Amino acid sequence: MIFDNKVLACVDQSHFADHVTDYAAWAALRMDAPLELLHSIERHPELSDGADHSGAIGMNSQEVLLTELVSQDEQRSKAAREQGRLFLLRLRERAAAAGVALIDTRQRHGRLQETLIAQEPSVQLFVLGRRGESAEVTQRDLGRNVEQVVRALHKPILTVTEDFKKPERFMIAFDGGIVTRHGVQMVAGSRLFKGLPVHVLMSGKPSGDAVKQLDWAQGVLAAAGYDVTPHLLPGDTERVIAKTVTAHGIDMLIMGAYAHSSLRGWLFGSKTSELLRSAKLPTLLLR
Amino acid sequence: MNSFRQDWLSNIKNDLLAGLVVALALIPEAIAFSIIAGVDPKVGLYAAFCIATVSAFVGGRPGMISAATGAMALLMVTLVKDHGLQYLLATTVLTGVLQIGAGALRLGELMRFVSRSVITGFVNALAILIFLAQLPELTNVSWHVYAMVAAGLGIIYLLPYVTKAVPSPLVTIVVLTGVSMWLGLDIRTVGDMGQLPDSLPFFLWPEVPLTLETLQIIFPVAATLATVGLLESMMTASIVDDLTDSTSNKNRECVGQGIANITSGFLGGMAGCAMIGQSVINIKSGGRGRLSTLSAGVFLLLMVVFIGDWVARIPMAALVAVMIMVSIGTFSWTSLRNLRVHPKSTSLVMIATVVTVVATHDLAKGVLVGVLLSGFFFAHKVGLILYIGSQTEEEGRLRSYRVVGQVFFASAERFINSFDFKEVIEKVRIDVSRAHFWDITAVSALDKVVVKFRREGTEVEVIGLNEASATMVDRFAVHDKPDAIEQLMSH
Repeated sequence: MIFDNKVLACVDQSHFADHVTDYAAWAALRMDAPLELLHSIERHPELSDGADHSGAIGMNSQEVLLTELVSQDEQRSKAAREQGRLFLLRLRERAAAAGVALIDTRQRHGRLQETLIAQEPSVQLFVLGRRGESAEVTQRDLGRNVEQVVRALHKPILTVTEDFKKPERFMIAFDGGIVTRHGVQMVAGSRLFKGLPVHVLMSGKPSGDAVKQLDWAQGVLAAAGYDVTPHLLPGDTERVIAKTVTAHGIDMLIMGAYAHSSLRGWLFGSKTSELLRSAKLPTLLLR
Repeated sequence: MNSFRQDWLSNIKNDLLAGLVVALALIPEAIAFSIIAGVDPKVGLYAAFCIATVSAFVGGRPGMISAATGAMALLMVTLVKDHGLQYLLATTVLTGVLQIGAGALRLGELMRFVSRSVITGFVNALAILIFLAQLPELTNVSWHVYAMVAAGLGIIYLLPYVTKAVPSPLVTIVVLTGVSMWLGLDIRTVGDMGQLPDSLPFFLWPEVPLTLETLQIIFPVAATLATVGLLESMMTASIVDDLTDSTSNKNRECVGQGIANITSGFLGGMAGCAMIGQSVINIKSGGRGRLSTLSAGVFLLLMVVFIGDWVARIPMAALVAVMIMVSIGTFSWTSLRNLRVHPKSTSLVMIATVVTVVATHDLAKGVLVGVLLSGFFFAHKVGLILYIGSQTEEEGRLRSYRVVGQVFFASAERFINSFDFKEVIEKVRIDVSRAHFWDITAVSALDKVVVKFRREGTEVEVIGLNEASATMVDRFAVHDKPDAIEQLMSH
């Protein structure tokens, strides 16, 4: 089955996969789009078992070693494939129970990033866990894949962390820039948020330009039939967003992501990464 | 950033352990190869340290072990005997420079002309040379030595059945050293073979006159060393590629070998290259990243410098046992069985490579012979793909020849002989549109045919020459266009 315009849920074998599936199912239902569950199996030739420290090499050592390593890899791949299949099957049933009609599953070898880039043309929304398998054992609060993956993609990406809660109201973090302006138009034209009350937040001083920008956003959304509440608040972006989210019980945040180069992010820290770390609510990233 | 983490930090524990195992096996080898070359063990040990550590950083194949090798040591014997250590150091530096040049010229890609049989021949010859180099330690010695070597081999091969937690070559060395000291045996030890390192290596400029005469002495040796070093390194790299199911950067490896050798030369070490046996040991012990190579070099130096007194007491018999293991492990025993199964030409290429190397002690010559022979055999085989048929037309006035197949230097003779020049006929038509003319020899063969027919008073018409000679252009850019290849081969 080849799905176009699908919602692609990227799952790995951690308990976050359930939340990713739930949100993806919600998005697929709202947009009436097909859902695909993707599990990518990474191979690690740079890792070894290293049980044999005898250091002795006998007759045909090369061939013997090659055969041994190949059969190890073979077993590992087969086990991973079977385990992944069952895991996807369970998630598929979960999504079907949520009411999604068209569901497909796919397993791919290779790094997540490459896999997603390859899939991008037929995708309209990615759903990604902000933390993954490694978070089960480490204290990392932002999965190490996330920034790389987000930077590599150009379609919207819904990143989720906590348990699924059906979004009731959402907020657009609006900066008047090209990415978020585009985002406002996208929200206005999409079925994903149809009928939900929307808050549009701009941080900064109430200067003439900002007011004009905000009016524009309000106008576009209102014309599409949304119930819009604009906010123009001074202060640090991150704190303003956090405050408004709690004050109004926002369930989902929409913002632009990683507009600056990765070098700058590495030197000064990335605003997007900080926000994704501090905010616990599902966030739709626009590229 | 990502590949740095992947190359260095993804497999830390196993890399360090494998590095230790490799270092323990490198010590006897470095000592043995110094003795082959005719220099103090410290030259080989410094070389092993320098080459292993430097290539960990600049090499193109993570997890591959480079150090002082037998293949290189054998090429230095005459130079050391005639001119001494300082000339060897200068040669080592020059070898590195040449290898960097080869890397810059991307000569690593020439490896595709080295066929499987040549590689097998190279590996087998290497194993034989390593074994032969042990013979001086096994002739004119007391029975104690034979007993020690036999016991050593016994420990090396049987201990892994009991435990794989400790390197069996190390146990061999420790046990044999202990036994010989306890019994007070009068047999040769490493200390008898020359000076061991007593300090960390330091920078020295080789004391050779910077004259043209010096260059004449060292250049030929350096060129051979550079070639053999790169050949063995490229082969080892592709072996490691296969074992770990990953890829390597061959040109970076060429340059890396060069930098490692230059460093080695300036720090008092001999030239070296990648080692097949050691790299297999490294992978087998779980080494995958650059850290394994680095730790092998560092552990080696630490052990040698700080327990040098003990190293001096290791009996040569223990080293011989380890080297016999390396030789057995390097040799491709299946290739012997394959001699009967594989085509004769393939086997002949392999055997010719081995024989040339064993006779000349020069792996470069062996590879040259192997590559030439496989080229001949290939040309011969492809030359057989040529069919020429004919029939008379126009009520016996015309004979029409149809040429199908490959015409080039190896098949031109057969091409000419397929025409019947004595036939009394008015006209001959040669249709070459389904043949391929690969070179000038093919075209001149056709000219010759035309001339011969004309001498008999026969009129000749050639059709399809344009299609046939399309293959003559040196670079027909069809490799990326399947349609073009289809068209070229099917007309």
